[in-house]
Amino acid sequence: MNRPNKILHYVARRLMQGIPIILAIVVMNFFLLNLAEGDAVDVLAGEAGSATPEYMEKMRAKFGLDQPLPVQLAVYLKNVVQLDLGYSFRHEMPVHELIFDRFGATLLLMTSTIIIAVGFGILLGLLAAVNLNTWKDALISVFALITYATPLFWVGLMMIIVFSIKNDWFPTSGMENSAAFYEGFDRVKDIAHHLVLPTITLSLFYLALYTRMMRASMLEQYGQDYVVTARAKGLSERRITFVHVLRNALLPVVTMAGVQVGALIGGSVIVESVFAWPGLGMLAFESLFARDLNLLLGIFLLSSVLVVAVNLVVDVIYCILDPRIEVN
Amino acid sequence: MKITKILNAVMMTAAITFGGGAVYAQQSGGSLVFLVQPEPPTMAGYVSTSGPIGLLGPKIYDGLFDYDNDGKMIPVLAESVDMSEDGKTVTFNLRKGVTWHDGEPFTSADVQFTIMDVLKKVHPRGPNSFKEVSSIDTPDAHTVVLNLDNPAPYMLRALSAYESPMVPKHLLEGEDIKSAKLANNPVGTGPFKFTEWKKGQYIRLDKNESYWKEGRPYIDRIVGRFIPDASTRASAMEKGEVLYAAYNAVSNVEAVRLNKEKDNISITTDGYSMINPMALIEFNTKEGPFTDAVVRRAISTAIDRQFMLDTIFFGYGNPATSALSSNFAATGLHAKMPHYPANGDVAAANKMLDDAGYKKDSDGVRMKAMFDLIPYGEDWKRGGQYIQQVLGEIGIQVELRYEDVPTWLKRIYHNYDFEMNLNYFYQLADPVLGVHRHYGTNMIRKGTHFVNSSRYSNAGLDALLGAGMKEPNAESRSAIYLEIQNILARDMPVVNLFELEFLTVYNTKLKGAYGSAMGAYSSFGDAYLEE
Repeated sequence: MNRPNKILHYVARRLMQGIPIILAIVVMNFFLLNLAEGDAVDVLAGEAGSATPEYMEKMRAKFGLDQPLPVQLAVYLKNVVQLDLGYSFRHEMPVHELIFDRFGATLLLMTSTIIIAVGFGILLGLLAAVNLNTWKDALISVFALITYATPLFWVGLMMIIVFSIKNDWFPTSGMENSAAFYEGFDRVKDIAHHLVLPTITLSLFYLALYTRMMRASMLEQYGQDYVVTARAKGLSERRITFVHVLRNALLPVVTMAGVQVGALIGGSVIVESVFAWPGLGMLAFESLFARDLNLLLGIFLLSSVLVVAVNLVVDVIYCILDPRIEVN
Repeated sequence: MKITKILNAVMMTAAITFGGGAVYAQQSGGSLVFLVQPEPPTMAGYVSTSGPIGLLGPKIYDGLFDYDNDGKMIPVLAESVDMSEDGKTVTFNLRKGVTWHDGEPFTSADVQFTIMDVLKKVHPRGPNSFKEVSSIDTPDAHTVVLNLDNPAPYMLRALSAYESPMVPKHLLEGEDIKSAKLANNPVGTGPFKFTEWKKGQYIRLDKNESYWKEGRPYIDRIVGRFIPDASTRASAMEKGEVLYAAYNAVSNVEAVRLNKEKDNISITTDGYSMINPMALIEFNTKEGPFTDAVVRRAISTAIDRQFMLDTIFFGYGNPATSALSSNFAATGLHAKMPHYPANGDVAAANKMLDDAGYKKDSDGVRMKAMFDLIPYGEDWKRGGQYIQQVLGEIGIQVELRYEDVPTWLKRIYHNYDFEMNLNYFYQLADPVLGVHRHYGTNMIRKGTHFVNSSRYSNAGLDALLGAGMKEPNAESRSAIYLEIQNILARDMPVVNLFELEFLTVYNTKLKGAYGSAMGAYSSFGDAYLEE
């Protein structure tokens, strides 16, 4: 078999393997979530102030919560197989609508964060490794250490105080201006304006991670035999760094980025909460406390599908970055 | 007793409308962005009295009446009300020419349907408020006659848009009311129409151009924003991105700071008198260490209510002096009771327990207990820590437990698996509406939240509660409630701590939003922005 064909074959097989994994995740999540005391009816009735037991029984019957757990699970699995994520009784809306409503915001924040974090992380790590043990290296390392160690919520709040309240440069929170309701290109500009602070806050944390990783990875590659060979061959340091070392040093960073894309899809509860960014993280967080299990299971399902998919993509990128890695 | 034509209220509204107009120039237009915390599950105020729904619902749905800050009735969808001599027939004369947001006319059939099929059946408190209503006649499109089994004077206090919103019959009839489409696409008669709900961001309401009240509303658009983080909410207020925040959406500590530092931000405690929140401790009177009323009285005696208010709640509130809020004093239903000191008396409490034979062991401990805390934020945790400390001084060693809302609700109101529980209840506009549910034997309802979780049962008290409910004469009624308060101060199944005062923080450019006793749960039809 030739190489592209082999890759396609590999992808197809991995996808087939992914299905039982995802089903297993669904079943596990279902039972884990049902371990929690109280159900959606308790929360709804509690918020309402008061409700009669008959009313609560009626609601349980309507939500299907009066059925035994295995029956509830069977119903849920049957729906999932038919690509129906069920209904959120709390929101009186289908789960897929609720999720896709929020998915855009999450995707926006996630993409901009990954681009900035990975991009600048690689750049800073490279700079630090090339200028090993100089003041530049020290400065970058200290910066990475501080941003990595600072709690996200604190960074977020400081951003708001400095760049929104003290200096009127950015809005405090939200995804768009809810007094003006811009349309067309103005709306794009408005959303981008709102995106800046949450992206920087979330990026800082991951940026530190990639910087440190890239630096270590570069240094490791510099010690390899092929670098010695390259030097013996008379290649310039510049060419060694950018053509040989950099390419190899990227592998672990790509692995890490892959893992984190999965995590980021789940959203960042802290950043979303501080900046009132309407992503999936807050939705999941709120549905946990509301015991809105259908919605929560839907979000988990989406995350697990994406994690499986992203891992697959990372494996394929591996092959492209390093032709020595074989798929089989 | 044929009199209750609410002329004074009409005059009052007229005074606000015209008198106010002479002094200030109300400006039309502008967007009012305010904080709604947390995001509501739906907008079905006719099914749920949940706080965030209350912030939005009354802008969309009207009630029959509103109430001014002195408790006087302001006509809204009803122009007047008559009550028969025996109190058993109540007639509402409805406003003419009112339409729903979809253009259909509002008629007496809507009122009949709302009360009989919605409020009495699916509303959490409606079955109590309209308990005595046996049938409703609609002699013409603008007259509604309620036939009551017994007089129900308290009913007239429950007619606001928050407590009893009027809903469209043509959109709900024949549907399962709890899951009808209306929950997410509200259609009312109120000053603002529902436009859009961006989950996780905001709910947008736009001006109802054909509102029945000439020239109202002034504001073009109301947006309720959801910001999960408390510090960010305060920042948004500080920056002027939001103009109004009620029910402590901006915490007391930030509210006091903003009020002091910013010229354009003010605070008020008005707008909560019909809600009447009371902080309290519920005891399990059936099992555990608190079955003896002496112990409960000793606990009430030991707690320094004023200290709690001053150190934890920034002084916003009043020490409780009885099972009933002092806000009921206006209707003669409140009396100061013993064992309700403002400043705790640890020595007296110790003596009470000594006299009752509860001996301290070598560590100074008489008894141990678990203390559950209402999971509604840091203030309640701190309150719990203070009470833990003061109970230690009287030899009651308690351990604090703080769980998430569903777990806590299930524990207290379903499993009864608790010993004492810090909580707060809304006492509402009349004891029948807000207080009876806490003490009546018929309110021991497993699985129903915010009712008699102490499982206190006293036939004598039940009879008095029943009598208090039906008594139309104010003097006899206050005598009945005096007796009720005496019994409750003696038995103390629940120890009231303090009357909470919530804070509303507002930007001073928002005017005219403070004339209703319903506060943030009012329509904002008269509110305007001064640029």
